Amino acid sequence: MKILIIGCGRLGAGLAQALSLRSHQVTIIDRDATAFDRLLPSFAGQQLDGAGFDRGLLLRAGIDRADGLAAVTGSDEVNAVVARVAREVFKVPRVVARLDDPRKAEIYRRLGLQTIAPVTWGISRIADLLCYTPLAPVISLGTGEVDIVEAEATPLLIGRMVADVTLPGEIHVVAITRRGSTLLPTMGTVFQIGDQLHLAVLGISMERLNVLLGAA
Amino acid sequence: MALRVIVVGGGQVGADLASLLTADGHRVTAIEVRDDVARLLRRDLPDGAVISGNGTDPTVLEAAGIREADVVAAVTGADETNLVVTSLARFEFHVPYTIARVNNPKNAWIFGPTMGVDVALNQADLMAHLVQESLPVKSAMRGGRPETDPWPDPRG
Repeated sequence: MKILIIGCGRLGAGLAQALSLRSHQVTIIDRDATAFDRLLPSFAGQQLDGAGFDRGLLLRAGIDRADGLAAVTGSDEVNAVVARVAREVFKVPRVVARLDDPRKAEIYRRLGLQTIAPVTWGISRIADLLCYTPLAPVISLGTGEVDIVEAEATPLLIGRMVADVTLPGEIHVVAITRRGSTLLPTMGTVFQIGDQLHLAVLGISMERLNVLLGAA
Repeated sequence: MALRVIVVGGGQVGADLASLLTADGHRVTAIEVRDDVARLLRRDLPDGAVISGNGTDPTVLEAAGIREADVVAAVTGADETNLVVTSLARFEFHVPYTIARVNNPKNAWIFGPTMGVDVALNQADLMAHLVQESLPVKSAMRGGRPETDPWPDPRG
């Protein structure tokens, strides 16, 4: 894929490196040429210095044929504008914008942009790790509001049904792994010994899940 | 007809704009994020006409009455701020008319319908036009010779 990255801070440089390693065609833009010092010598992509809004620069970077763009500068407003321009003017199929100030999430939401909030995500993840839970998070969705977690069926659950641990809008059993194969359960599926549960949980409902599983 | 106008950015441009419109009888609300600048602005504008806060914040815009506004003028010194303001004004709050100040002429191309801008005020562009318009006048002042090279070679 051809990918443009706007902003060569720690996040932008790391992202460029990671995508370059996966053999994607990466172009990274920053208005400060010294920012490129963050890139490792192994970085094979293109580096361009200039303002992220500069039309000539964006065209030189190939925005009109890019498959994806990440707007990850330190300014939420710059990221919002670049992301919107990429999507609306240049029709870039996949656009992600970094959001630092959670109070500005509303701007992005209202402008219909997909966002990643590294700090917000980090806070919720660190808080989770510090407040130990026996549930193993597999993946975080969105900006960390929803986790997919795995849990062994606890003795409390054996013989009970999926409906018993479902809280609509908070906790859903998305899959069960049983004797080596994984199935999508119904509300009436009964838990058996050795079941591995895969659950989608709202971050704030983690404690309630612990209670439901009898693990708290 | 008195218009309901929101001016985002209370620096020199915004302050003058808000004062002029207020003097003309329009209902102006100015939004300014810097406390010291907002304080200066309050001296020049009617009570309640200045709101401290970030114009890119939808809740601040709502507090300024953007849902009833006829015009939004985004005149801060940061192009990205002005563009976020006009985008929200148009696509979220359906303001009928938006004006935005262009700070960096290189960004002028973005100030269009995609970002909800009806009129972009680009000082460099404006001055270039004014300079060009002055050419025949200048020639006339010099004795009505419109063919005169407006940019005479200084060496000649």
